[in-house]
Amino acid sequence: MPGVALSRALRVNGAAVPVAPDDPATPLLYILRNDLGLHGPKFGCGLGQCGACTIHINGKPVRSCVTPLEAVRDSDEITTLEGLGTPERPHPLQKAFIDEQAAQCGYCINGMIMQAAALLTRKSRPTVADIKDALGNNLCRCGTHLRIVRAIQRAAEAG
Amino acid sequence: MAPMLQDDLPRRAFLKGTGALVVGFTLGWHRTAIGAATPHLGPYGPAEDEIDSWLAIGEDGSVTLYTGCCELGTGSTTGLLQIMAEELDVAITRTRLISPDTDRTPDQFVSSGSRTIAYHARPIRQAAAEARQALLDLAAERLQVPVDQLVTDDGTVSLREMPQRKLSYAELVGGRGFDLKVTGKVRPKAPKDYKVVGTSVPRVDIPPKVMGTFTYMQDVKVPDMLHGRIIRPPAHGASMIALDDSSVAHIPGVVKVVRKNDLVGVVCRREEQAIRAAQELKVTWSEWSGLPDMKDIYGAIRDLPEFAAGYPKRSPGGVLENIGDVDAGFSRAAKIISATYEAPFHHHGSIGPSCAIADVRADGVTIWSGTQTPYGLREAAAKFLGLANEKVRLIYVEASGCYGQNGADDVVIDALVLSQAVGRPVRVQWSRADENGWEAYKAARPTDMKGGLDASGRVVAWDARTFGMSGYSRPEYHEPRHGGEPGSLVTAQLAGWTKPGVEEGFSGAAGNFTPVYEIPNRRVVFKYLGAASHRQGPLRMRVGSMRGVGSPDNIYAAESFMDELAAAAGVDAVEFRLRHLRNERSIAVLKAAAERANWRTRPSPNPASPNPASPGDIATGRGVAILGQDREDAGAVRRDTIVAGVFEVEVNRKTGAVRLTRAVIAQDCGLVVNPDAVRNQIEGGVIQGASRALFEEVTFDRSRVTSLDWAAYPIMGFRDIPYTVDVVLADRPDLPPMRVGEPASESVWPGLANAIYDAIGVRLRQMPFTPARVLAALQRQHAG
Repeated sequence: MPGVALSRALRVNGAAVPVAPDDPATPLLYILRNDLGLHGPKFGCGLGQCGACTIHINGKPVRSCVTPLEAVRDSDEITTLEGLGTPERPHPLQKAFIDEQAAQCGYCINGMIMQAAALLTRKSRPTVADIKDALGNNLCRCGTHLRIVRAIQRAAEAG
Repeated sequence: MAPMLQDDLPRRAFLKGTGALVVGFTLGWHRTAIGAATPHLGPYGPAEDEIDSWLAIGEDGSVTLYTGCCELGTGSTTGLLQIMAEELDVAITRTRLISPDTDRTPDQFVSSGSRTIAYHARPIRQAAAEARQALLDLAAERLQVPVDQLVTDDGTVSLREMPQRKLSYAELVGGRGFDLKVTGKVRPKAPKDYKVVGTSVPRVDIPPKVMGTFTYMQDVKVPDMLHGRIIRPPAHGASMIALDDSSVAHIPGVVKVVRKNDLVGVVCRREEQAIRAAQELKVTWSEWSGLPDMKDIYGAIRDLPEFAAGYPKRSPGGVLENIGDVDAGFSRAAKIISATYEAPFHHHGSIGPSCAIADVRADGVTIWSGTQTPYGLREAAAKFLGLANEKVRLIYVEASGCYGQNGADDVVIDALVLSQAVGRPVRVQWSRADENGWEAYKAARPTDMKGGLDASGRVVAWDARTFGMSGYSRPEYHEPRHGGEPGSLVTAQLAGWTKPGVEEGFSGAAGNFTPVYEIPNRRVVFKYLGAASHRQGPLRMRVGSMRGVGSPDNIYAAESFMDELAAAAGVDAVEFRLRHLRNERSIAVLKAAAERANWRTRPSPNPASPNPASPGDIATGRGVAILGQDREDAGAVRRDTIVAGVFEVEVNRKTGAVRLTRAVIAQDCGLVVNPDAVRNQIEGGVIQGASRALFEEVTFDRSRVTSLDWAAYPIMGFRDIPYTVDVVLADRPDLPPMRVGEPASESVWPGLANAIYDAIGVRLRQMPFTPARVLAALQRQHAG
């Protein structure tokens, strides 16, 4: 209903957070970025094509730019890059991306790490082909792909 | 490193010497300065000839570098900090960098052309060297010892023979500044003494980018900010006929529908509301279909009128080189061949579309932007609003990688118009379709080559002619130094700005077109067709700079053609090039690439193709390309990066698919400040270059560009990347640092074309090298 704030709670990075959008069709990306100040997920295309906005819902990678708020259940666990690790306690993938210097402009890196984290949960020792398949629909324009693959392998080896 | 938005201000609360209070704009998130020095603030920012303009030592001994250079995701922040830390003898962990801000950092013009480390680092290095000398002088006075008995290390000055007698930089000048001119008389360190420069210091921007704590332009929020979106015409030349404000009345949060001539936008409380309002706003536009047929684009470009006024003095009429007697050379040639090469328009393909925030108030304007020309865009914005430069402050914030002039400058005009209309700060985020539809594309280019071989297989005549547009539609002139003009921006054109924009001529677009080879008779002509914009001129396709500007097109033609000459002479492609090279650096680089690639000397095409060892219809081939040259310029040698690339491909004869399997890049870019950051740039350049060669082409109908999303404009993904990119860096600390970001990427198009020829024996002279083009070429070969 236009103009009426729809108050509800989401579970984001392990905590319950209230949100009150005007429109239940609002893509989750804007709730996370603008209401909750979580800038890990990025706006890239708004079409689910590039992967920059990737988050996890219950551990599965999801394109938040095409996921309406109303499709998220109260019990769903949303995880963003910020919830994966912290500067003090980085996720093994975040550490590996730093160790491999696997970023240039870094705008796509959120999606790369979130997609890879979901892969490693599913398959702890992926082959290079597994990694390329898992990231097949995540776009990087700087051409950092080789380092990203190495970083994911490194994180997998670190376990 | 701390994100730039959380740091100090007002660094320049007081103008030194006058004590006059400068009232800055109230910015809620600024903190009080730590160790802020106060250089003179002129009409174009802090004075370049003062040490305090470039760096400040804090009370805690930390060192802040103030630069006018924009970090574009290449690692230049880390490189500049290394250079400063090296000269100052301070740990790099105690340094940080303040990005361009017209209130705080010196003007360093345009951060483009791979020039940040190669060129713009020089004044920073000099200021740091002079700061170190000043610290030594101060310590000598305080310790009452001759200065030559003192040494600097890790942020302290101490007596060489008595290291416990020491003063820290913080004790000497912390929080107070130097108050000294840069004299140019202090000699920076000799490269042999470098400890930090030349090492792979991890990039300072990568940890926050990986943790999600980095603040990109797209992430900036300011108090009281509203969200804007723009509505572009459905055809490049269409004009607005009617606007129905009531069509968005039902959408919550709409603050205002804004129109300035043909620039139309909506301002809303929330971002998703603005997106929806922009989609639902009813605008009636005029019909327009003035674009050429895409099938005939290269013919249409050839037919464009020449833009005579844009020829630089050094190459009147577009003649870049005319040496020997070309016609006589051809008349003596035993064999003459000619070829035409065509490369299409390209999108920059920034993963994050352009974004800006403007806050237009009666007492002044603040702009947050991912531009490459902070001062030029500031001046352009001031002119657009009819204000003095000093009334406008532009703060640079790194955005998604741009690879040249994407929409970063244009979106600022959108934000200014919307903010002015509502009297509040407005953030404008372009959509993917806005970006692809209205950015400045890399220009499409046809190039004609003709060459003659003598009986011994030497090139004796070379005739090259290309049809190029300006590679420069930025809002700032290179010369005169400060000359921002809004007329260069398509958004200003939409908003009704009619004064002409910046016209820089073709210099960047002509890069690397003169051959690197010893050829006695040669003529190289750049037919200059001026600038082009969606809204102005004879070709309504906006063009601008993209990684290498026109150089990739020039090298594509020149190095593909050199390969055709080698094949015509029946000589191995590396051997043929070596026979025509004299520059020692070029020879060394080409040999290094060939050696790393295990290049086997034989003519092309590959006699073993399709390779019996490969399964099915897969043919393998290798190709080489080289670029870069030293030039004599007013008696001095102007050095440039030399790159040789070897590219190995698999071509599927049945499907036409081309796969780059391995690339080897040998590069001599002089002194390497950060080897791993350089490798990162080269690897990325290869992958982006291969993506452009194999997949990319801006598409358009008679009204507009139609490649508006990633489905319509595919780029290289993980499944297509090469297995390896091997990088061989020449160890040349004796030479100054040279360009890094662009050159290696420029070797890729001809390298791939030559490798495809080696694999299947056909030349691809039109990009991209799609399966359809490969199959068509194979069919022609079969028929012929």
